[in-house]
Amino acid sequence: MEIQILQFAGSLAAILILAALAWALGLGGKANLSDADSVQRAANETLDGFRVVESAVDAQASAALAKDHAGRIMLVKRHGNRLAGRILGNKAHAAMEGGKMYVDCGEPYFGVVELDLIEPGPWADAINKLSFDSDA
Amino acid sequence: MPDLPEFSPTDYAVPLFVAAVLAELVWARLRAPRAYEPKDTLVSLSLGLGSTVSGILFGGFAVYVFFAAYEYRFFDIGSAWWAWALCFVLKDFKYYWVHRAGHRIRWMWAAHVNHHSSQHYNLSTALRQSWTSPFTFGLLFALPLVLLGFHPAMIAICSGLNLIYQFWIHTEAIDKMPKWFEAVMNTPSHHRVHHATNPRYLDRNYAGVFIIWDKMFGTFEPEHDEEKIRYGIIKQLGSFNLLWSVFHEWVGMIGDIWRAPWKHKLSYLLREPGWSHDGSRDTSDSIRSRWLARQIESGAQNQVADRNPIADPREAA
Repeated sequence: MEIQILQFAGSLAAILILAALAWALGLGGKANLSDADSVQRAANETLDGFRVVESAVDAQASAALAKDHAGRIMLVKRHGNRLAGRILGNKAHAAMEGGKMYVDCGEPYFGVVELDLIEPGPWADAINKLSFDSDA
Repeated sequence: MPDLPEFSPTDYAVPLFVAAVLAELVWARLRAPRAYEPKDTLVSLSLGLGSTVSGILFGGFAVYVFFAAYEYRFFDIGSAWWAWALCFVLKDFKYYWVHRAGHRIRWMWAAHVNHHSSQHYNLSTALRQSWTSPFTFGLLFALPLVLLGFHPAMIAICSGLNLIYQFWIHTEAIDKMPKWFEAVMNTPSHHRVHHATNPRYLDRNYAGVFIIWDKMFGTFEPEHDEEKIRYGIIKQLGSFNLLWSVFHEWVGMIGDIWRAPWKHKLSYLLREPGWSHDGSRDTSDSIRSRWLARQIESGAQNQVADRNPIADPREAA
């Protein structure tokens, strides 16, 4: 048992050292989410075949919203140096605070995503309408 | 009972794993800094450590079952060199099927998914091992080997060697191996395909050591150089929470079973990931079919568009 505890402690130390080294070496970087093309690529990666007809990118390029022909709205966010997205459904909610929009897709571990958009109003209305439509 | 050495190959391989990850970190610094993400690395390595703890805590049941089953073996295979070689090959054959089940049966996928939930593909990804596999029926796949007469310790050692082989193939640092090697063995190229979410690559290349099983059973897909691979799972986690990485699919599956009508409950346990009784979700098959349909459609359009010099290139998957 003592040996197993020592092995565990040694492995834990190695893990922390390797992760710290990855950080110290400057590995990682940022995912590209700067324009409509990058949003289209991210949307297609999130849902194969999703064709963006309208999009809005956050001022810091850390998140985006996209809409397709069917009116589906997709939220894309940076996740480390990759991107992750969700099609918003009836659990989604958008709130405005301090000029920024906060979108909650309804999944606690995906997190609330902050977006600094030029015209957030129509997007917020469209997102909140998703839950309103399902309640109606 | 055969005279077998008492050792665990994976214990001896840990320093090798650490050294190889160190070497790949340096490679990434020089050639591909985006191949690693420190938070992802921390989660991957923690999953590896946690899986060893889980094995110690919960592995006893499988050991008990194997030794009990060994008492009912059909043959005494012993521990000659050929028995080791045969055990290694048959163990790999068994790995192909248990791995295939791990992708095609949601109960098994719930345990296996954390190996795939990283959006990166590097040596730390190899160590994303399951904490919850003792809570699946995966051990049943090994029972035929025990009943044939392979000693459980021999099977365990071959399993360890199989796992060690699979470590080095989790890298983007190696492009392709020599043709003869690619033809027979599982390689970084073949296994990159397995970790991809591109529609054409979904549920392909289940092999552990020998890629021949995929070629024999129709699940082989070569890596296409012109198509950039995306790694991870269909619904990327979007979270670096360690416990969520371990349990998210269990939470989802149990929730689905709870909410489903009685006649569909078992299907949420035993059918493929993404299956739903109302057809509202995507499975790997439905995603691939939709993509294929689009390829055929765009191919038909390109037959006309090819004469047009400003036509867009073909869509990548």
